[in-house]
Amino acid sequence: MRSTRHILQILAAAGFFLLACATQARAEELGRKDVVLRGDAKCTRCHDEGDDYPVLAIGKTRHGTVADGRTPSCTSCHGESETHMNKPEGVTERPKPTVVFRGKNHSTPEAQNGQCLTCHQSDAKRTHWEGSIHQARDVACTSCHAVHTGHDKVRDRTTQPEVCFACHKEQRTQINKPSHHPIPEGKMACSDCHNPHGSTGPKLMKRDSVNDTCYTCHMEKRGPFVHSHEPVSEDCGNCHNPHGTTAENMLKARPPFLCHQCHTPHGAQVGQVVGQGQTQPFAGSPLLSGTTSGKSGINYFMARGCTNCHTQVHGTNNPSTTNPTPQFNFR
Amino acid sequence: MATTRQHGLRRTLLAAAMLAVFTPAWGDDDAVARLAKPDTASVSVGGAGISGDPKDRSLFTQYNGLHKDDAYFLLDFDYVKRDDATGTWTIVQGKDLGLDTREVRFLYGPQGKWKVFGEYWELTRYYPRTINTSEQGIGSNNLGISLLATPGTGQDVDLKTKRKRLNLGGQAWFGKNLMLEATFTNEDKDGARLWGRGFTCPSAAAPTPVCSALASGANQWALLMVPEPISSTTRQVEVKLNWLGERFNLIGGYYGSFYNNDYSSLNDTITGNLNNGLGVPMSPALTSGLRGILQLPMALPPDNQAHQFSVDGNYAFTNTTRANFKYAYTHATQTQSFSQGGFDAPPPGRSDLGGRLDTNLAQAAITSRPWSKLALLANVRWEDRKDKTPIDLYNVEGTSTFTNGHNSNEKLTGKAEATYAFPYAIKGSAGLDYESIDRDQFVPTDQVAGLSGIRQKTYDRGFHLAATKTMADDVTGMITYIHTDRHGSSWLKPASGATTGVFPADPDCTSNGANACIYSRTAIFPFIFEDRKRDKVRALLDWSPMEKLSIQLSGDYGKDNYSAPTEKGLDHTRLELYGIDVGYQVNDTTRLTAYYTYSEQTLKVAHSTGYIADLKDKNNTAGVGITGIAGPRIHWGGDLMFIHDNNQYNMGLDSGASAQNIAYFNSGLPFIPDATFRDLRIKLFGSYLLQKNSDIRVEVVHDRTKLDEWQWGYNGIPFLYSDNTTVNLKPDQNVTYVSVVYTYRFK
Repeated sequence: MRSTRHILQILAAAGFFLLACATQARAEELGRKDVVLRGDAKCTRCHDEGDDYPVLAIGKTRHGTVADGRTPSCTSCHGESETHMNKPEGVTERPKPTVVFRGKNHSTPEAQNGQCLTCHQSDAKRTHWEGSIHQARDVACTSCHAVHTGHDKVRDRTTQPEVCFACHKEQRTQINKPSHHPIPEGKMACSDCHNPHGSTGPKLMKRDSVNDTCYTCHMEKRGPFVHSHEPVSEDCGNCHNPHGTTAENMLKARPPFLCHQCHTPHGAQVGQVVGQGQTQPFAGSPLLSGTTSGKSGINYFMARGCTNCHTQVHGTNNPSTTNPTPQFNFR
Repeated sequence: MATTRQHGLRRTLLAAAMLAVFTPAWGDDDAVARLAKPDTASVSVGGAGISGDPKDRSLFTQYNGLHKDDAYFLLDFDYVKRDDATGTWTIVQGKDLGLDTREVRFLYGPQGKWKVFGEYWELTRYYPRTINTSEQGIGSNNLGISLLATPGTGQDVDLKTKRKRLNLGGQAWFGKNLMLEATFTNEDKDGARLWGRGFTCPSAAAPTPVCSALASGANQWALLMVPEPISSTTRQVEVKLNWLGERFNLIGGYYGSFYNNDYSSLNDTITGNLNNGLGVPMSPALTSGLRGILQLPMALPPDNQAHQFSVDGNYAFTNTTRANFKYAYTHATQTQSFSQGGFDAPPPGRSDLGGRLDTNLAQAAITSRPWSKLALLANVRWEDRKDKTPIDLYNVEGTSTFTNGHNSNEKLTGKAEATYAFPYAIKGSAGLDYESIDRDQFVPTDQVAGLSGIRQKTYDRGFHLAATKTMADDVTGMITYIHTDRHGSSWLKPASGATTGVFPADPDCTSNGANACIYSRTAIFPFIFEDRKRDKVRALLDWSPMEKLSIQLSGDYGKDNYSAPTEKGLDHTRLELYGIDVGYQVNDTTRLTAYYTYSEQTLKVAHSTGYIADLKDKNNTAGVGITGIAGPRIHWGGDLMFIHDNNQYNMGLDSGASAQNIAYFNSGLPFIPDATFRDLRIKLFGSYLLQKNSDIRVEVVHDRTKLDEWQWGYNGIPFLYSDNTTVNLKPDQNVTYVSVVYTYRFK
């Protein structure tokens, strides 16, 4: 009985030993197997989703689409990292990988971007990265992009602005003003107008100029018109702040102050709003009566300001040669 | 990072090992798949309610699709699948399908080989103000206008513009280096936009007998609100053939853009009398001359189109020396028939403008790192827009006749910069900047309207300095300084009276006679031509005193000082901005962010009739955000945003002010009051995991807005159009939005 129990114990031990061996062999097999990316086995034997910097979610992205032969391995981006893989003797802290993208000891922006550009240099949307203001000011790709996640904030229209606002504070204050593009509502994003990877336009405009970018949505302003307004065709930004203003139509200043930056105004009235006693006599006559000129202080300060009458401020295609001709963009 | 951890079996591996022993072989793949595969299929269904009526929430609901109704059906769906064997993605997503801001998009194709994609998108923008009027036909191009007996008793009209956009595109690789991509966009836009018209008689622009003074010699005028009807289609086509190599990328492209407007002109008919400036019917009644002018057709944006052919790319001479370039030729035309609008006679023999703009753009940049510490950059861009529109006699005002003009523009910009890596991980950059604009010779048969002087050319020269500290310390920072100095060619004085063209300006009025006397005391010179000194400083400082805490300080200062032959017009603009951002990881599951920004913008303009406007926009913006996880089932978070924007309209008189203005100024009556905007928005959300594959999310937003301004009324007194139309906005708006959404994720 005792010997039988002993035999059973030995068999059980052997069974567990074999099972343990099998488990270990299976684990080692798995340990050497790539989990997500080609050749990631040497990394994923230590790094996984429980890491401080989870790595497996890269599999959810285009970088993790292994069937596309162009996609990277871990070392394509982080370098071969020999000393990181095999800690040298006598070193207390394991050296960092060759290229580190986050944390205190991150690599230089050139080194980081160099890894990305290995592939993305051959990218139609990044042909003008070199020389762009972001490149010249050492903005690293990972300053904006998160690679090891299925949700890269900067590639989502609703969350992209908060990434850009990490540096562009002035624009953050402007988009919440009452006259704005639908950026806070998540219907437009910075990249609808700007190409942060470089462009031939000023201010990293997506198309070749400020106006060409605006025309993609506001083509009715393009003309050419019979009667044009030169600053309009030169740069929409002469009058508008597209990030938001308190004045209507995202105007940089309320008319007539905006218009008076260029134009000699008619009328001789200081600015007024309704109900301020304009019918009282001032220097012998009231500012407002039943037959005073329409060019009163009220009429060009209130409502639409100068554009109360000069409606066609973007230009008019009215060809009429007779009075009143549309040259002042009345109609 | 895991660098301080011992290497060994980790959770995934242990789990996979256990699965390998105790479950079928697919088990380990399943565990990893959940972490590494993008596949998802979910549908979100819910409802939302919003408080008040549309007028109570017009600022909050300008764009978010929540304007019209009090309750909404919410529906989103998301399907993402990747076939790992072929790398083929299938993505179909729908968002906000129950709102009039709905979006649907799809993508299909094996990555790196080809893909097709598309998007349908709607966006409605509601003008936040409500119009009260008796006008008929708003939204069409035929308006009926009559005097509303009492202001505020007409119909309420909400103006809106609705965009429906369809994007379709595709991309295909032919071998390793050749890729063809094409996109097509069609956007229909409908609705109406606040617009207006007005005129006063007598006017130099409409001499008698068309527009005469009253028999008493007094004026008669009217202002009308005439909404612009919108019914247009925009189409854009872009095709690019890309050669993408290791060292050389070359892209040839075509971009066509086409605008088509269903309406050519806006016509209105005025029935009966209108009010005068005191808000009572004109006496004598509206004259036929002024009525006729106010009923003349107004031109609406004409059809136009542009074709661009371009080639751009880059080339790596070496690993450290690269160049990029672009050349583009654009041919834009506008040939809408004049006969469509019912306009008065165009110049004899001219049936359309024949508008033509040809633009050449060339750009080249080179960057080089001759040795590791030095980086060099040079960039030059030339854009030449030639207006080739035929010149014709579009203006016949009594004895004053003149033609249309040209809007040509040749712009050259350049930049050269050197960056050196100094010791202690500091980088310094210095560069030169250049910009010149040549607006071409003024068409001699044209007449300048409403300006005191123009310049053909302006030159902007400047430099910039930058220092950055980018390496691995607790503190990283950046500071930049930009200075530019703009000058220009000689001022040109517009001809006056029946004369056309421009004259070289002469301060002594000697060489060219009276026409050259440009420097009258009240002349205003357009700011785009004025001499300008620009100084801008920008600084950013990032500090991470501990792993959990990050602090960012930011500051901006900029000033543009303008100068012209007189003291009138734009004097200067200025911006100051200071901000702080803080991020704090409270614990493993809770993160807190906060920011505060103060900015002040100044605009000082001297008016030619003797007053000076010193405008200030002072803005305080702050935000706090928190996100957290409470246990395995609950995600929660909240945001608070506060903005206080105060626009001050400080006015002063100068020595040239009229006696009437001085008397008004000294009367103690208020001038232009401040305009203030305040918004406090609190958003709270929480989601609860009901089952492994379903959750419920609740979101509450409370928004308190105050817009106190004088544009459409002051102190309870509305601005009245001549037909008693008023434009109104509820200044204090408090709105609460609640939504509950159930999400089910298919296995």
